[in-house]
Order: sequence, then C-alpha cells, then structure tokens
Amino acid sequence: MLSFRLRPEEFAALNLRALYENYHYNFYRMSRFEEYDFYADKKDFLTSKRILTFTDINGRLMALRPDVTLSIIKHCRTVEGVQKFYYDEKVYRVPKNASNFQEISQSGIECIGKLSTENLREVVELAILSLKTISGGKKYILDIADAGFIAELLKDNENKQEILKCLAEKNIHGLKSINAPGEIIALAEFDSEEKIPEKILSGKYNALYKLAELFESLKKYRDVMRVDFSVVSNLNYYNGIVFRGFIEGIPESILSGGQYDTMMRLMGHKNSKAIGFAVYLDEIGRM
Amino acid sequence: MINIALPKGRLGEKVYKLFAEAGYEFPGMLDKNRKLIFENKELGMRCFWVKPFDVPVYVERGTADIGAAGKDILLERSPDVYELADLKAGFCRMAVAARNDFVDDPERILRVATEFPNIAQNYYSGIGREIDIITLRGSLELAPVLGLSDVIVDIVETGTTLRENNLSVVNFIADLSARLIANKSAYKFKGEIINEIIRRIIK
Repeated sequence: MLSFRLRPEEFAALNLRALYENYHYNFYRMSRFEEYDFYADKKDFLTSKRILTFTDINGRLMALRPDVTLSIIKHCRTVEGVQKFYYDEKVYRVPKNASNFQEISQSGIECIGKLSTENLREVVELAILSLKTISGGKKYILDIADAGFIAELLKDNENKQEILKCLAEKNIHGLKSINAPGEIIALAEFDSEEKIPEKILSGKYNALYKLAELFESLKKYRDVMRVDFSVVSNLNYYNGIVFRGFIEGIPESILSGGQYDTMMRLMGHKNSKAIGFAVYLDEIGRM
Repeated sequence: MINIALPKGRLGEKVYKLFAEAGYEFPGMLDKNRKLIFENKELGMRCFWVKPFDVPVYVERGTADIGAAGKDILLERSPDVYELADLKAGFCRMAVAARNDFVDDPERILRVATEFPNIAQNYYSGIGREIDIITLRGSLELAPVLGLSDVIVDIVETGTTLRENNLSVVNFIADLSARLIANKSAYKFKGEIINEIIRRIIK
C-alpha cells in the first residue's frame, strides 16, 4: 500500500471538500485563465490590483485568475432557485508586502440565486464549520457585521473612505477627530460585547435587527461569533452580511466573505443575490 | 504570553514609562546596554526594542501582539493592524517646508525630498500635484538649502531646525503622536488582556 503523509494544508482542503459535499454544494472546476478585459473594470473587487497576464495563441490578452468568485458569477447562468458551489483552486496575486506574484491556495463556497434568510444562515454556519475543520483544535472566531448598514449611514458622507479606514482599524480617536457619525463610533466601540446595544437597535437603525436575527438563528455557535464592524471593507460590492474568520496563532484572517448582490447586479444578474466566502489555506502549514 | 514591541529611542522610552507607571515593569529596559528582549514572567509579558520603523511589521505579522508606533510610521507603512489608542506622547506634525523665499511654480513638477515617500505621494495625489520624490534618510533640511529639492515633507516638532536653516512650514499634512497598535488576530484571542493594558496606561 502506498503510504505518505499529506501536508496540513492539503489535509485541510480535503476536509473542507467533505464538509461542503455534506451540505450539497457542487464542486466547481474552471479554467485557470480569463480574458484580461474581464477584470479591467472590476479591479476594486480584487484585493490585489495587479494581474498576471499573457498573450494566448490567438493573440488575445489573457489573465491568470486572481480571484474565483468573479469567474463563478460570470459562468453561472441565471436560473430560478438557488445554486450552490464550492471550489478548491489556485489564484495568482501580489499579496501586500510581497515582491512578486504568488500562487495562493483558495477554497470556498458561493451560494447564488433567489436567496432566503435560511441560505444566508447556512453560509455563515459553513464559515464557522470551516474554521472548526481547519483549526486543528485551536481557538477560532468569526467576526460578523452588516456592510449595508454602514453604507446607509455613510451614503452622503464626504469623509467616507477615511471613516471606513478608521473603522477597520478600530481607531476610535481617529473617528472622533474626523467627526464621524455617532452611530459609527458606537459600532466601532462594541467589539466583544455579548449583545448588540439597544441604542443601535432602536429607531431608524433597526437594519441591525437582521444581524441580531442571524445571531439568534446561530445561537449554538454563540461562543465563536462576534459582532465586529472592523470587518467592513469594500462597500462597492458588499452590501449585506460580511465576515472574517481568525484562528489563534495565525496572524491574519484566514477566512473572508460576505453578501455581494451589488456585484451580481454589476455583472448583469439583476434579480439574483449572492453570498460566499474564501478560505486561504497556505497559512495552515505554518501553524 | 503577551509580546510588546516598543520603538528604540526617545519616543519608546516615553512610552515605556507609561507602561512602567501602570505596573507593567520590565527590569533593565532602560539600562544602557545591548539587551533587546525583556521578560516579566509574573505578568506573562515580554517586551522588546525594535527600530521605530519596524514596529508595525512585528505587529502586523504577529511576532508582537501589541506595539507602540509613531503615527508617521503608520501613515507611511499602512499596516493592517488595529490602532487602539492615542498614547498622547511625542506630539509633532507632518508638514511641507520650503526655503523662506520659495515661490511655487505650479507649471513645474515639484521636487519633494522626504523620508516618507508614501505620505508625500498620498498628500500630493490628493491635491492633484505631480511630484518627483527624492527619498533621503535624514538631514532633510539640506535638500532645499542645496537645491536638491524644492520642498521637504518631514516631521516638525518645534520648528527650530527649520528656522536655523531659513526654512518654514508651507503646508500642514497631519498631527502625529505615538499610537498603540495590535495584531488583528491576537486581539481576537487576547483582547481582554490587551484592553486591560490600554485602560491602565491611558488612565
């Protein structure tokens, strides 16, 4: 019998596949290449703006895929109902602080179509279970926020970018110095609280009830979920629930995702919603 | 165990005093020797001196859970970390300075000498001005005096050095002071201890 040891990240990727199969997600396999033009107008969506390109045998400018989500949206046909995919792929990016392109392992799921609250709940649950699967017994946390709520609060604010940056840094003194709205400061302040404070839930900010409901429906994972608005980043594409996962001992977030109906609309799927997340497995080997 | 990165030098010593006054003492930290790592087993904390410019690197990559860094360095490096508190030490400003007799010609590319190329670039892109960046490692005042650059983007504390070289501030960029930063992941799992440290040193 052939005997060999899997590397931790390979083992994690296989375990994640088993998890997603169990939840009836379909394996999605795609080409490594897309036409460069496809990404040209969607660079804001990509974490790294640089794209590795080459010319194919027909003279077309092609790109090595920097991202999986966009390809899945592009190739999925709009149908009634809900489509569920998972993937285990390589993407090509220049990570922050890196001096050149790197091949990065990315696994994840996308849930697309006429989504119900139950679909959203399931994806968040799968994010938690993904963390559990790859954590190897270490502690893990999923930080969750509502990007749509922040977008609403900052709709006409001219300091929007600056405020979002401070929010991501939990930089309360910074938010105060640029006169950010009081609600934003309140949201930035309550990171490890058990409950969403009443003052934010009340009145016109009842959009946060969605978040409260989500927490209620995932009660049994309460110990590993937190409301934390520092995970809100790209308001151009994310419009609802957003989240990031952390595992103790890994310095960066290892899982990241959210609801991106806006991106779906931009790509011509007018009546579809979508939510998904990606898990970055390369760091697992270093644990 | 909590790992703390402090910047070697005057600012770091000020910040260390805040820690010491709050009860976080690391015997030998301020002695004049070459030791870099200090541990307080009772507190379960370890403190180390690193180059000021490197503090965000140690924190972003999780080698240090928290650290103290000047806002200038945070603006220059934009690390992906939490900036949890203003330590209100080492107040100064980031500013543009030029020779007293300098007259800007908007039709020319502005030559900017600085130790902070990203801050300079961001500031001038923000106002739509094309610049030529000359990155130097100190003695910035020389650049406009000798004609190497038109202006400098630099830290201004009292302005004495500028005055002595017949330079003056022409534009303000940002207020600076020491900030307490934390690794995002470490804050998830050691948040309570980190918040306790902040509460005690800020008072």
